[in-house]
Amino acid sequence: MAAIPKEKPSRVDEARAQFARYKADVKARGKPFYPYAMFHDTIMSLVVVTVIIGLAAIWKWSAWGMIHDPTHKGILGPEVDPPADPGTTSFVPRPDWYFYFLFYLLRIFKWPESVFLGTIGVPTIALVLLIGLPFLDRRRVRRPSARPVAMVAAVLTIVSMGVLTWKGATAKEALASEVIQDVPRWASTEHLPASALPGAKLFATAGCTACHTYAGSGGSNLGAPDLTAIGSRNLGIQFQINHLKCPSCVNPGSPMPPFASLGDARLRQLAIFLESSKGTH
Amino acid sequence: MAYRRKPTKAELRRQKMEELITYPLDWLEERSGLVGGVRYFLFRNVPADVNWMQTLGSAALTAFLVQAITGVILAMYYTPSAATDPATGKPVAWESIVNITDHVTMGWLVRGMHRWGASVFIILMFLHMGRVFLFGAYKYPRELNWIIGVLILVMGMMEGFTGYLLPWDQTAYWATVVGINLNGTAPFLGPWLAQFLRGGQEIGGDTLTRFYSLHMLVIPGAIIALITLHLYLVIRLGVTSPPWSKEAAGEEPAEEEPVSLRPGLTRPVPRGAGASPMQAEPGGRD
Repeated sequence: MAAIPKEKPSRVDEARAQFARYKADVKARGKPFYPYAMFHDTIMSLVVVTVIIGLAAIWKWSAWGMIHDPTHKGILGPEVDPPADPGTTSFVPRPDWYFYFLFYLLRIFKWPESVFLGTIGVPTIALVLLIGLPFLDRRRVRRPSARPVAMVAAVLTIVSMGVLTWKGATAKEALASEVIQDVPRWASTEHLPASALPGAKLFATAGCTACHTYAGSGGSNLGAPDLTAIGSRNLGIQFQINHLKCPSCVNPGSPMPPFASLGDARLRQLAIFLESSKGTH
Repeated sequence: MAYRRKPTKAELRRQKMEELITYPLDWLEERSGLVGGVRYFLFRNVPADVNWMQTLGSAALTAFLVQAITGVILAMYYTPSAATDPATGKPVAWESIVNITDHVTMGWLVRGMHRWGASVFIILMFLHMGRVFLFGAYKYPRELNWIIGVLILVMGMMEGFTGYLLPWDQTAYWATVVGINLNGTAPFLGPWLAQFLRGGQEIGGDTLTRFYSLHMLVIPGAIIALITLHLYLVIRLGVTSPPWSKEAAGEEPAEEEPVSLRPGLTRPVPRGAGASPMQAEPGGRD
């Protein structure tokens, strides 16, 4: 028998042999799922349900509070925010926490040239890599100490996701009540005419500064451009109004929401303010 | 053969009772084989060295079941309508959420569990995925189950996105405005997808009803199907030993280590199913 030369088994054969060995090992010296593994599973499930009930209780009791107001902010946020109102745009869009990493990714990639990378590009690549993992890593070895590349990649992924989530969670929000105090400063440094002031106040309170910066105020959410010198492009009042009414109609692919609900009179005020902003300082 | 005495009346009665009790199970087993299936599921062997990290998958399943049960109860009280209630001037959907949270008996608990259970579900899926990665458990022959798991994670996040809109409050509305606009930046399909999600040019009542439908019918249906497939593959392929375990199932013993030192393995393992006892005898190997 020993005379037959042995060929080196192929990787597939080795994997199959290992799995057959696994099956036999488990059969020979494993333990039944019930009661051993199921006992651990049950304890863990009870912990999970307890944690969920605990979170619900803390949320309700701290939000409800003494004043019985469903929009009162407790430890874990309010029961519910004020009703959706497409007309009041002074609201900072904020997704659930597990989308914060995407949310922050959008601040890294600037509108409009590379925003596509942040919204679709990076997530798609990440997803393809994740799905493709078993085909990228085809070695049989499973010990973490023998998989340095995989372990480093995992740590880098976790750290970058953690940092992006943290940055997304703590991203500075431009509150209308704070931004409106900057309007007189804008007027003096940017030499705004008096006719632009109603629009400037509207700009500060209508939610524009959630995504746009102006003379150092506001937050650059979603990589939206700074508007301090938007008027120097001389796009015209009518263009500004049309753009505000439906940004993606004028600027295909724009992620900016339409502000048609502000009404023509206020849109004109905003447009005058934008056209007056020449960035002259 | 030992002498068997005639059974007493009490024993006969007992035997009859037992038959009566097991009759429905026998009936079911004969027609479906389900009893045998459950028995296999419960009493199949798992590696002796499985550890606590390997409970994360079932913990995620528990979190999903919490979502399913609380979701069904919420659907009994929730109204997916963006129309304004003429009596109060508030949107109907928003009012039904306030009603559930503040007035329905235990409604706060059901909604609170659904709301926070969503985060727990997502966290547990990520932890479970981390465990599978650490153990290298996505390798042959479990590649397909890794992919199914990734799809469940994506579906879970889609549940988060669609469910976020349902309270129809400011946070919900504006987060969804931006979320849909971001979908719209995708090439080719983007604008079409954004249009489909909105149900028109602007977010409104049509968006709310289609998000509700996606959230409680389409995506959960897909998740249930994927979880079923996931569990089927887990049971079929078995769970892995921790890779650092001294007695990890399926790992080859170290070169010098005598076979007799491996716990519970006193003879070579027969290769392949249906190996004859002769091959398993000592010396059956060449």
